[in-house]
Amino acid sequence: MVRALQQIFIIIILILLLAALPKIISVDPSSGSLEWSFDSLPQIYGDFILEVSGGSLGTYQLGQQTRPIAEDIADNFLTSLQIVLIAVNASLIISLIFGVFISRFRLTKLFGAFLNILASIPDFIIIVMSMLLAVKIYKTTGIRVISLRPDGGALNTWFPTVLAAIAPTLYLFKLVSVKYYQTSGEDYIKTAVAKGMGLNYINFQHVYKNLEPFIKSELVKVISLAIGNLFIIEHIMNVSGITKFIFQSNEVQPIAIGLFAMLLISLFVYISIRFIFYLFKRGFIYE
Amino acid sequence: MAAVLLFFCIFGPMLAPHSLTSVLETQYTNGKVLAPPLEPFESSSYPLGTDKWGYDLLSMILYGLRYTVFIAAAVTSIKMAFGAIIGLYAGILKRTPGWLIAFENAWSYVPLFLILYFFLSPISFNSNLKQSVLIGYFIVIASIISIPSIVSSVRLKTAELYKSVYIEAAKALGAGKHRLIWKHIFPQLKETFLVMFILEIVYVIALMGQLALLNIFVGGTIMRYDPIIYLSATKELAGLAGQARLNIYGNTHILIAPLAVLLLTTVSFSLLANGLKNRFQSNYQRTPWIKTGHEPLVQPSRKQYGRKKKFWSYSGPKAAFAALVIAFAGAGVYVVAAKNSNVGVKSGSRADYKIDLEMNSEGYFTVNADIEMKNQSNKEWNELVFYFIPNVFEDGHTFDSVEGTSEADITKVTVNGQKANYKLKGDTLTIDLKSDMKDKSKHKVKIEYGFTVPDRGSRFSKVGTNYYLAQWYPMAAVFQKGKWNKEPYMEGLETFHTGFSDFNVSYKLPEGYSLASTAGIDPAEGENEGTVKAKRVRDFFMAVMKDMKVYETEAKEGVKVRLFSRSNHDKDPEASLALAKKALTFYQDKIGEYPHEQLDIVLDEGQFMEYPGIVTINPYIDDKRFYEISIVHEIAHQYFYGVVANDPYNHAWVDEGITEFATSMYFYAGQNQDERQAFGISHYRMEAIEEAGLGRQYSNVPINEVKHSGFIYGQPALEIYEMIQEKYTLKGESPEAVGMQFLSDYYQKFRYKEVDTKEFIYFTKDYFSVPAGYFNNWIDTSKVNS
Repeated sequence: MVRALQQIFIIIILILLLAALPKIISVDPSSGSLEWSFDSLPQIYGDFILEVSGGSLGTYQLGQQTRPIAEDIADNFLTSLQIVLIAVNASLIISLIFGVFISRFRLTKLFGAFLNILASIPDFIIIVMSMLLAVKIYKTTGIRVISLRPDGGALNTWFPTVLAAIAPTLYLFKLVSVKYYQTSGEDYIKTAVAKGMGLNYINFQHVYKNLEPFIKSELVKVISLAIGNLFIIEHIMNVSGITKFIFQSNEVQPIAIGLFAMLLISLFVYISIRFIFYLFKRGFIYE
Repeated sequence: MAAVLLFFCIFGPMLAPHSLTSVLETQYTNGKVLAPPLEPFESSSYPLGTDKWGYDLLSMILYGLRYTVFIAAAVTSIKMAFGAIIGLYAGILKRTPGWLIAFENAWSYVPLFLILYFFLSPISFNSNLKQSVLIGYFIVIASIISIPSIVSSVRLKTAELYKSVYIEAAKALGAGKHRLIWKHIFPQLKETFLVMFILEIVYVIALMGQLALLNIFVGGTIMRYDPIIYLSATKELAGLAGQARLNIYGNTHILIAPLAVLLLTTVSFSLLANGLKNRFQSNYQRTPWIKTGHEPLVQPSRKQYGRKKKFWSYSGPKAAFAALVIAFAGAGVYVVAAKNSNVGVKSGSRADYKIDLEMNSEGYFTVNADIEMKNQSNKEWNELVFYFIPNVFEDGHTFDSVEGTSEADITKVTVNGQKANYKLKGDTLTIDLKSDMKDKSKHKVKIEYGFTVPDRGSRFSKVGTNYYLAQWYPMAAVFQKGKWNKEPYMEGLETFHTGFSDFNVSYKLPEGYSLASTAGIDPAEGENEGTVKAKRVRDFFMAVMKDMKVYETEAKEGVKVRLFSRSNHDKDPEASLALAKKALTFYQDKIGEYPHEQLDIVLDEGQFMEYPGIVTINPYIDDKRFYEISIVHEIAHQYFYGVVANDPYNHAWVDEGITEFATSMYFYAGQNQDERQAFGISHYRMEAIEEAGLGRQYSNVPINEVKHSGFIYGQPALEIYEMIQEKYTLKGESPEAVGMQFLSDYYQKFRYKEVDTKEFIYFTKDYFSVPAGYFNNWIDTSKVNS
């Protein structure tokens, strides 16, 4: 509990610091050196806390307009949440199924090899390449695969979701398969095999149970990966998610709110995955 | 693959076909329009095409690659070093402090590129900071923010190992903390670290890519408004991809090219890491009991105990590695060598001379010339062509500037030991090659002849009792572009184009004569028999003199300056020598090393003329200012004629114009005269042209078309000066400094190479970032663009 509080505290500090960075760093044009204006920090944070404690989330700039954050954030938040939630959960399920339960089949091996190749490509290249591909498809066939218009509806969001799922999938798949391979050399597996248990049974009852802690401990990193890519994807695909608040302004208010929203999204996703684990255990594993 | 990549990182810029600042200009070739953005593979000189503004993509990539890889490597080294040490020590703590774990966890919530984004966005756009400083910031910050994740993974691994039984044993034996870490834990983790290191490189590149998509480019973003475009200052790969992001709709190659290279980069590192990982994993992994579908591809290699250790034992991987190293080194050497030989205009021939010269008391010279001609072109020679200038002053010549006449009689010509047929017409000596000799790459030519020197001739001249032997030997013409580049002799400007040759001249003179020549070390006064040598010179001049007074001084780097003079003129030899020394020292300081060991100045009647290591000046003219300028001018020629070669017939302005510019720069930058005065002679020439109503003419015309020498001397000097006045802010503080730096860079680049108008334009265009059309005022660029 103490640790959790510590973590939350550190994160909040970090976010506030990040949000204020653009305000406090500047380049001195005459001497060409960095200038840190720390003395404006209390002012910045004072304003922020005042604003929030007043029950409002403040305002942000959208083009020439000044709009209250509170009015717009719900929609944007839900879009982003939807993308990350689907992406991470899907990636977990895919990597578990392909990495463990059906990994011994020849066809899955092919899929694994494909993922391995993808894994050696940095995410951002995958993102850009897939956009190129989508444009190409539209040009040659006339089929609109994606839409870069913020009001494009599902066309605007399904592709980002897939892209956001790629990085966590690759990461989890790698993790799961390595751990699976390591676990399979353990003595208790040998015992289980010796007892004549079926492969599926061993996978569920022995392997999965030992894999779960590893996945749990890497979960934070996986979500952070997804969120990181989410920013890029939203930014370059014109998805109106929370990224809008973070990249389109220099104000402390929207950045901080945006980052907190991001934190909230991570939290939701984390909870959802723990819930899935719980259901899975309840459904399939005999304790 | 990674090795190839590293190779390109180091030698990339040398391989680049175009420089970063050279722009493809819209042009017609063979009825096809080449205009940016050029598609890849459309033009052989722009293999990956150009971007919207005409910059060559391949060059940009080759320049940018090193930034990408070295920055990534730097970041990774720093963070791995700190992260590993902190992690190792944190791992063996009895109880990991709660705050550390909390911090690690919190840190991993926030995507790292966000932190970098917020830090770099206020300082990256059109930054006042220097590029290197920005890169430095990026390296430092990126390292610091990613240390926690390294610490956490190293810490966990260390903690795991720390629980092992063998650590217990070591502890029981009394091993201290540091010993445990460095002798027991670190060796176990070495391989993991290696794999981690390579993977982290990929990770850093990915980080740079993510930032680039947000228009934050490492090394600074140049933001242009109207329309808003973002440009990478370093051309770093991720930046290139980022700045081309909006090209997904059209001209996709601009985006795909850097992206593909980036992909190649990261994939090669990933594959390396993967290979190593598989290797290590297969070595240590226990064999699984069930079918998992994740079997390693590599056969485990087991340590063989009890085998004798050998320094070198043959094995496949080792041999492959050695081959890789050798290929790496070989390719490097090749690239450097090829780059060097590609500078300047190529010459397909080389001649070296060994000459015996004997003079009798009547002033008749007998010569035995051994000339070794090398064919460096890929064509066979049917004939050898020489300039034999003494022949043009025979009785009945029509040159106004030559009073007397000369005799020149060739008595015997042999090629490779066999008697050869030759034709002598004007100054062109053509020696036929027998059919069985045509394919030889080396020819030994022996020419025996005798000559006298015309009284008060042009350069090749007898003045009183002194003999000035200029162009007195059969000078091999230069074989260029598949033919002998030999133009007929003309009065006035030089018509002979020679390459760089080595000379070995032995001489015998009558009593009382001394010799001053091109040679590095001339014989002492009064020594009338001996041998003189010179290396890599374009001409070999000899002054055979009697009763001349010698003045001596020394310039920088021990270069001797000697002045030969009579006392029957009104110019002060001491002052002239002082001027020569000052000018030479100035050029040594500002342009570069003087190519010879000594500089001889001969004051006597005749032409003002430069030869390698020796110049002739006429002190009997009234114009004292012109006399002084000439001394400086001929010294400047030692650089821009003696070392930077050019074809004096077809591109005469290249040495004369630049020499005149260098001369005026001596007065302008060295003596702080104002522009009007320093460049006075050029202005005077141009005014003379105007008065004569000659109109305008390009400077790059062959000398038989030149209407006035001012177009060769004055016009280029003034135009180069003009250009430097306009553009010096790109390169430095003052026009004086930039002008001299330009000359110096030009000299250093083309030392012992040949320059023509095209090479000059390419160099200058690049140097001052101007289009070829910039020179239209004074150079006919239509001949150059091809």
